[in-house]
Amino acid sequence: MVFLTAQLFVRSRGPDEFWRKRQIFKLAAHYIGRKRNCYSIAIKNVHRALLKTTRGRQLKKQDMRELWETRLNGATHEHNISLRILLEGLNRCNILLNRKSLANLAIWEPRTFKCLSDIACAKAKLGGIKRVANNSMPETVMIKGLVDELD
Amino acid sequence: MNGLQLYLQSLLNIKHIYNVLTANVGYRYIKRWVSPTQKEITRRKRRLPAQPESKRSNFIEWNRNSEIYAFNTRLSEKFDTEKLNQAFTHKSYILDELKKQQEMGIEEPKFDISHNEEYIEKGREITSEIVKKYLKKSLPRLPEVGITALHDYLMSEQMLATASSHIGTKDIILTSEHPVSQQTLAQTFVALVGALAESVNVDHASAFVRDFLIVGLANKDLTEIWCPTKPFELLNDVISAERKISIEARLIGQAGKNTILSVYHVGIYANKEYLGSGFGETIAEAKDVAAINILAQIYGLHHTSQPLRFNEELNVSA
Amino acid sequence: MSLLRKGQQWGTFACVWHIFDATWQDPFKSAHLIKKYLMGLHKPIYHPLNQCGDHVIVINSKEIALRGDHWQKRVYFHHTGYHGGATWTLAWELHSKDPTMIIKKAIYSAMDGTLQRRFTMQRLHIFPDDNVPKEMLENVSNQIKQLRPVPNRLYEIPQEERDKIPRLIQYPSDYQLK
Repeated sequence: MVFLTAQLFVRSRGPDEFWRKRQIFKLAAHYIGRKRNCYSIAIKNVHRALLKTTRGRQLKKQDMRELWETRLNGATHEHNISLRILLEGLNRCNILLNRKSLANLAIWEPRTFKCLSDIACAKAKLGGIKRVANNSMPETVMIKGLVDELD
Repeated sequence: MNGLQLYLQSLLNIKHIYNVLTANVGYRYIKRWVSPTQKEITRRKRRLPAQPESKRSNFIEWNRNSEIYAFNTRLSEKFDTEKLNQAFTHKSYILDELKKQQEMGIEEPKFDISHNEEYIEKGREITSEIVKKYLKKSLPRLPEVGITALHDYLMSEQMLATASSHIGTKDIILTSEHPVSQQTLAQTFVALVGALAESVNVDHASAFVRDFLIVGLANKDLTEIWCPTKPFELLNDVISAERKISIEARLIGQAGKNTILSVYHVGIYANKEYLGSGFGETIAEAKDVAAINILAQIYGLHHTSQPLRFNEELNVSA
Repeated sequence: MSLLRKGQQWGTFACVWHIFDATWQDPFKSAHLIKKYLMGLHKPIYHPLNQCGDHVIVINSKEIALRGDHWQKRVYFHHTGYHGGATWTLAWELHSKDPTMIIKKAIYSAMDGTLQRRFTMQRLHIFPDDNVPKEMLENVSNQIKQLRPVPNRLYEIPQEERDKIPRLIQYPSDYQLK
């Protein structure tokens, strides 16, 4: 573009930056103080927040897993086994339940969870795992079907 | 970029005008005049007093006949169109129209459509009967008091209005008031039931009531809607009538007796057989909770009971 | 909320009182056990932000047993905040001043330093002997099993029973016992 006069140069200022800034201000709408009103401060904080949300997506998964494990630890110790025995026993029985659903069962269906922990304990005992050697064999479990060639 | 695109969509009209003015199809950025204009428009809008909700039927493209047709087809119902129209017409609308005509200077105002007063009356009767029969069928052991309580809950204005607005009656109703009140919505629902019973038959209307009204009980805590006032005595009566033995309550466990968070666990036994248990702040409360627990299981109101079924056929006319 | 749901909630979040006898127990190992009950880690409904911890009464804290030479070697540090205000107290000294302090500090440091820690500690009640107030004892509905059994010491066995214990060797009458 050729600007023959200074007036023409002023007239063609290019696109309106309002819309570009508005996208950032939208994300900063819930901030407090100058963080929400001043663009140069807002953009710094928005960038920081976006970085944190990216990290938070992984952290949330880790935190939830940790919480389920804590809960399951409490629930399994009620039945005299540990979380490792529960997971190992269930895996060997081909009962593929994840930590989340096991924790939910422990809270909402304690009797179902007791059955599961009994099965895991019996399987672990049959498999010769040392940590359950002192546990008594759960009476509710049909042992006959649990033994397989792998054990 | 997304926000930008959204904005562009909302600005379609302006864009169109702008394109026409400049005869320039497609452009690289939003011009500098757009944002001040938008700001001014928003500012003026904000300065106005709260505007009433716009009436859908006042829009230019409103076509009542097609809406009525769509209503019928959407629900896969076989309403008679004339009766459906009548079910949607409230008395206040007709009175309002007559008044308007009088104001216009017409000597003998005439408005030849019938209102839904009789449908409301008839529909309410039918609905009430259907609800009662359905509840009796799906909760056979629940005593009459409980059935009545659940029935009253379903027939309450709020439940009827919710059912009505969920099938999309809000805009089609003809009434003098705007926006439509809860009462009118509720009345329209029963009027629709009445119209359907006349258009097809009562059995079909029962399916309508089941599908749109009784499903309101799904996922609800039924003991919140009805709970016996003296549960232990009631349970005693029930058990003694069935097995000729009386029940006894025993304290199974307690924690924190001298604290404000004291918990008592009371079990109820009949002839040394465990029936159920409950927790409470005091022993009396725990006893009541235990009794309610067992009663709810017997009656099928417990949250662990089999959920209510909403696919049962009801034979009302027989 | 219906009465039924209220009862369910009340039972789920019931606050149980436990009792723990600290006689001849290692305070640092018991701390990890007691911590679980205080924080509610033994319940499947545990969440760091919900109130699901229980009360624990520790009795006989005077009778705790420290490993090896920890009574002489373990040092508790305290600083008043003023210049030269640092003090180092040996475990036996601290124990003679306040017999509940060692186990209290052990449990406090067994927990993570979150904002909840001080509130969790309020649910812990330590008594140097077994003189627990009656109202408090009435709350108790569970006993936490000790980590190791209390050893039966010879001088605590009455003389008649001690005589009945079969002896492997009989010292000669002129044997010099140091």
